[in-house]
Amino acid sequence: MKGLFTEVYAILWKELISGLRTKEIITSVLVFGLLVLVIFNFAFEPGTSTRETVAPGILWAAIAFAGVLGLNRTFAAERENSCLEGLMLCPVERHVIYWGKLAASFIFILLVAAIITPIFLVLFNLPLFMPRLALIVVLATLGFASIGTLFSALAANTKARDLMLPILFLPLVVPVIIAAVEATGLVLDGRPWGDMATWLQIMIAFDVIFVIVSTFVFEFVVEE
Amino acid sequence: MIRGKGTLWNGVLLGLGFALMLAALYLIFVYVPTEETMGVVQRIFYFHVPLAWVGLLAFLVVFVCSILYLWRRDAKWDTIAASSAEVGMVFTTLVLITGPIWAKAAWGVWWAWDFRLTATLALWLIYIAYLLVRSYTAEESRGARFAAVLGIVGFIDVPIVALAIRLWRTQHPGPVVFEGGLAPSMLLALLVSIAAFTVLYILLVGQRVSLRNLGTELKRLKG
Amino acid sequence: MYYLFAAYTIIWALVFGYVLLLYRGQRKLRREIESLKERRDRTE
Repeated sequence: MKGLFTEVYAILWKELISGLRTKEIITSVLVFGLLVLVIFNFAFEPGTSTRETVAPGILWAAIAFAGVLGLNRTFAAERENSCLEGLMLCPVERHVIYWGKLAASFIFILLVAAIITPIFLVLFNLPLFMPRLALIVVLATLGFASIGTLFSALAANTKARDLMLPILFLPLVVPVIIAAVEATGLVLDGRPWGDMATWLQIMIAFDVIFVIVSTFVFEFVVEE
Repeated sequence: MIRGKGTLWNGVLLGLGFALMLAALYLIFVYVPTEETMGVVQRIFYFHVPLAWVGLLAFLVVFVCSILYLWRRDAKWDTIAASSAEVGMVFTTLVLITGPIWAKAAWGVWWAWDFRLTATLALWLIYIAYLLVRSYTAEESRGARFAAVLGIVGFIDVPIVALAIRLWRTQHPGPVVFEGGLAPSMLLALLVSIAAFTVLYILLVGQRVSLRNLGTELKRLKG
Repeated sequence: MYYLFAAYTIIWALVFGYVLLLYRGQRKLRREIESLKERRDRTE
């Protein structure tokens, strides 16, 4: 068990190092996310109640699109440098590679979300300290990361790879998006935990199911 | 299709399908009484529902064949999966076209983001993704593998998507789509129609599979 | 009702169209296979 943990950690570390080297990816993804926030903002009249109702949607649209963009770029850069082939040479089981990449993607998207969310709260004049929102973000990010890691590895090997990932990814994470938007809306309305319960359960179920499924299926994506 | 027995099977299915379709048409247009609230337009229902059912059945077949393909690596499973996905896509597209037509005629709106149509839309998008992955991957065997992965993940996702959309709908209710019980005569028409369309599905997939096999044989001959 | 007619027409158009596609594909492939077999037989 300990050996497994070290392996995953090693891959995670490698991912983080190569990811951090590409600071350009993180900055551009962040800027993109912010732009989505701002542009969507202009789509709605300020001060009307419609704006308050769609606010959660705007937040999650921004996170989802920024997340997809980031995953795309990271895997594209990897492919250019033949990183995946290098990883495959390591004497580790394929699902360990998945977990390492999952952890890295998770941290990456979480970072993006952690920056976009406060800015969103500011732009919409909402209180900044929201631990429940943080929980929603963590659960949703895990959902995004589970599917995203699997399919960005897949999409990187297709033509039109920049388009392929959103087409694959977005329909599949619909439950996460719906749940995140609904739960966020409830949090912003100040509703109690009980109301959110079903949405949180959906996200947790999604996360568990798809981390497990992706673990089993990842090897078929990366095999030669 | 299976050699030798192929044409026999084909003939039986064709005859059965024709008979069922004729029976369904009779039941739908002559036998079943006109529905009170919606009038004649309601008869779309008897095609709309079977199409949706077969669309789901087709995806189930994709799921099973995807697992078999990744497990056994026998190309025939991939051929069946791909063919089923194509036919399923056609049927699901028809669901998404007949649905709004019915909705417009019965309730005055093309699209109401109701549970069933929205979930079908999500299924349709996953179908598209499946077919695109196949055509956008350079090598065939790789494309088959990728598609199989998507088939498995997608099918597992469909019930979750449906659940999420249903919950979303209960939070934000909209116009009520056709609900309520079915008179026995309506049920009969519906069941016969479902049977007819299932046979049609099997026939179409069979044809598509043999077309694919022809293509593979051609490539083999070209060497 | 026009809507009813439209719905059924579209269903049959699409199904028939797909069958047509399959049929054309079959014909084309069969012809290619035949011509290939001919060429092979001729060179033997």
